[in-house]
Amino acid sequence: MIKALAKVAVSAAALLAACVAVAQQFPERPIQLMVAFPAGGSTDVGARVVASIAEKILGKPMVVINRGGAGGQVGWTEMARQKPDGYYLGYINLPATNTVILDPERKANFGADAFVPIINQVLDPGIVWVRADSPYKTLKDLVDAAKKSPNTIRTATTGILSDDHLAILMLEEAAPGAIFRIVHLAGGADQLKEILGGNVDVAFDNVGSIAPRVRSGELRALAVMDHQRSKFLPDVPTMKEVGYPSVISSSTRGIAAPRGVPPAVLKTLEAALRKAMEDPEHIQKLESAGLAIKIMVGEEYAKYYRETHEQAKKYTEWAKSRAHK
Amino acid sequence: MAERVVLACLGLLFGGMAWIALGYSLRDALGPGAGFFPFWLGALGLALSLALLVQSWRGGSIAEAPLALLPRGEGARRALALLASLAVAALLFQPAGFRLTMLFFSAGLLFALGVRRPIVIALFALASSFGLFHVFYYWLQVPLPIGLLGI
Amino acid sequence: MDTLQHLVSGFAAALSPAYLTYALAGCALGTLIGVLPGLGPAAGTAILIPLTFKLDPTGAIIMLSAIYYGAMYGGTITSVLINVPGEAASVVTCIDGHQMAKQGRGGTALGIAAIGSFVGGIVATVALVVVAPPLAKLALRFGPPEFFALMLFGLCLVSGLAGRSMLAALLMTVLGLLLAMIGIDPVRGAPRFAFDVPDLYDGIGFIPVVMGLFGISEILLAAEAPALAAVRTRLSRLLPSREEWRRSIGAIWRGTGIGFFLGLIPGIGSIVPTFMAYVAEKRLSKTPERFGRGAIEGVAAPESANNAYANAAMIPFLTLGIPSSPTIAVLMGAFIINGITPGPFLFQERPDLVWAVIASFFVGNVILLALNLPLVGLWAKLLEVRFEYLAVGVLLFCLVGAYSLQQSIFDVWVMIAFGVVGYVFRKLELPLAPLVLGLILGSPIEKSLRTSLEMSGGDYSIFLTRPLCVGLLIASSVVLIGSALKLAPKTLREA
Repeated sequence: MIKALAKVAVSAAALLAACVAVAQQFPERPIQLMVAFPAGGSTDVGARVVASIAEKILGKPMVVINRGGAGGQVGWTEMARQKPDGYYLGYINLPATNTVILDPERKANFGADAFVPIINQVLDPGIVWVRADSPYKTLKDLVDAAKKSPNTIRTATTGILSDDHLAILMLEEAAPGAIFRIVHLAGGADQLKEILGGNVDVAFDNVGSIAPRVRSGELRALAVMDHQRSKFLPDVPTMKEVGYPSVISSSTRGIAAPRGVPPAVLKTLEAALRKAMEDPEHIQKLESAGLAIKIMVGEEYAKYYRETHEQAKKYTEWAKSRAHK
Repeated sequence: MAERVVLACLGLLFGGMAWIALGYSLRDALGPGAGFFPFWLGALGLALSLALLVQSWRGGSIAEAPLALLPRGEGARRALALLASLAVAALLFQPAGFRLTMLFFSAGLLFALGVRRPIVIALFALASSFGLFHVFYYWLQVPLPIGLLGI
Repeated sequence: MDTLQHLVSGFAAALSPAYLTYALAGCALGTLIGVLPGLGPAAGTAILIPLTFKLDPTGAIIMLSAIYYGAMYGGTITSVLINVPGEAASVVTCIDGHQMAKQGRGGTALGIAAIGSFVGGIVATVALVVVAPPLAKLALRFGPPEFFALMLFGLCLVSGLAGRSMLAALLMTVLGLLLAMIGIDPVRGAPRFAFDVPDLYDGIGFIPVVMGLFGISEILLAAEAPALAAVRTRLSRLLPSREEWRRSIGAIWRGTGIGFFLGLIPGIGSIVPTFMAYVAEKRLSKTPERFGRGAIEGVAAPESANNAYANAAMIPFLTLGIPSSPTIAVLMGAFIINGITPGPFLFQERPDLVWAVIASFFVGNVILLALNLPLVGLWAKLLEVRFEYLAVGVLLFCLVGAYSLQQSIFDVWVMIAFGVVGYVFRKLELPLAPLVLGLILGSPIEKSLRTSLEMSGGDYSIFLTRPLCVGLLIASSVVLIGSALKLAPKTLREA
């Protein structure tokens, strides 16, 4: 009896030691940090900054790899297939990741549970903006015009089923009778080009993409889709202030791993990444790029992930059924 | 003859893609649907393939001096060796890892092409496997596969 | 004059030892990145961004810009020597450049490419100084409908690429267009022809396809040839003959013009200008049958266009803050990380930085010429290596290159498959250039059509109410009708 107990105790101790050892040994080789968008975009910029700091903390290189394509689907599909050993991490962009999963035509072969969210880095609130000489001076002007002549105001998104696309639908829901003529462009730079060229009238995007230009007066922002004003654009009212408190939308970028990574490894990663994101160099670099840091870890991030998924579900279905998508 | 086979295959490809394109809607509220262009392009491609087939049947040919499609003799052996090595390397790339695959690829292909100088082969193989790996993996930060053996 | 003053002080800064070194380092690194397989300028530039954290913003940007246009030249080297385009834009140079190499004139090809690139770059930079802001604003009028019309025009040029058989060229174009439709469509945002293979969701990669069609097929074809005697290049043939000079000069100017104007329009991409320059040269030539067999204009025109494009693309970027290409988008990321926002106010807020950077473009183009011209002889010697070593080397090059694009073995298989396809097509004399053209244009044509219709709410008259668009559509019709009239009797006789 004593012998059996002793055996169990020894095995348990060995197992515990092994787990601890694994966690302590991790990482033993370079870690890959996947960005599901091409190099140079705002997710990529944030990734490179955090990677360069985190690798010093972890003691092994953290290499950013770009897997752009299909609006992120290529990268997330690949991540879902990786071995959950902690050496392959990737950025998830909410709600983009959600809509890819939810759109039946996308035929995503991974579900919401394929990833375990580790830590969120950036929360970039949605924003409505126009050219500086646009006739729309406030959001009310825009909504009134959209009600007066429905489906004529050319409204740009950064892609089909992007957070901007869903935000337009949210606004239409909150302001019945207002219908926008939705034009799907290929990203923030494309929006800039078409707005400046006069080919579209208004754009829905995120603060990080255009904050410096609004500050310089080149562009005019009508409203920010967050609970409070953006610290980069303190003069721009929130949707709540202009009468549409339900229109809250943002694009978040956070790091996740394929489901199944051992908890000890996750803890190590979470701690290191958090430390990197709280580093003053990280804060300074991201802020100068106009990216608002919002660190969320553990249960808070997991909850956010689930909530975004639910919200995205509703608007994705509406987007698919709407005639003028 | 070879020309006709290839044209027929292309015709089948075009027809097949046009058929699949019908499954994506041809029209949509704003204009051409996802299947519109693929369908018409497939149809056009099929028509062109048929036209060229007819031309070939009537004695004409696209090529000015038609070459034999399949090579003969020594040339065939070499071309096949190249192709086979490529395919094997692609198959082994991930399981065996970059370094081992390239080592055997270089050495094997050089040998198959007739090189018989062991020192040169060895140096070439080492440079192309371990040497290249070092450049790409460490300097350029491009992750090349490390195989099951850990190499 | 204010601008002149700025430029002079810009030169003073750009020629300072520190910045000169950065420009030199950038050019060298850029050329290397262009030569290395798979590692395109965008990825290469992105990798080197952390390197520039340690430099001051001006220095960082000088170096990154140098890497950018250096890479444009590097891609030419492999196109000419081994028929493998080092980066997408070098595809067109393969057509005549490699033929020249096979005739022992590889050094000449590289030389004229260097000179053409130099001219293209300098002219574009001069234009940047002189006419930048107003021209850039004008270029903004190019919206989706104009894009559609321009791409359509580009497609109509395919007749200029046809060899003996017009029907075959059309067939290849259609094939290219169809292959371009694999992947996410612009209508539903869902994959087409992907058959649940995730690697196909974004389409067949362009670079693996051309690496296979041109590079692998070349090696396979060469393996068969009974005479494996290496090509010997005599040193005297490194310089173009007087006749070749004469022919190239016009090509260089025309290529520069085409590349420059297209570079002003954000989003065109580097391949379209090179194709247009090539086709324009062929059409204007009194002996078009030389093209595809080693015509020096076939190298001079696209190379000048390429570099003129690359430098001109900096104009919308610096004056309006709009990145024209993925590589410039990376550059913009670098700017932003360093706390600088490109845009109309940049000239006013940081004239010191902007003018130093512009001056360094001049300096960089000179450095590139000085770096590459002497090395041309060395590069050309590469072709004298015995076939066995060359073949294995090229295949290695292609294997690593295709894989390193996205660390995907699928790309390698695509390359091998298209290697076989290219081999078969070349044997049957089915022309590859129209296939490549279709592959490039398929996506932009469909996307811009869709976006135009989204803008107009489904109304097709948008194409007829915009003057620029109408102009381009008329040009396309003219080209089409002209080709039809010229070739109809010949094609009917064929059939």
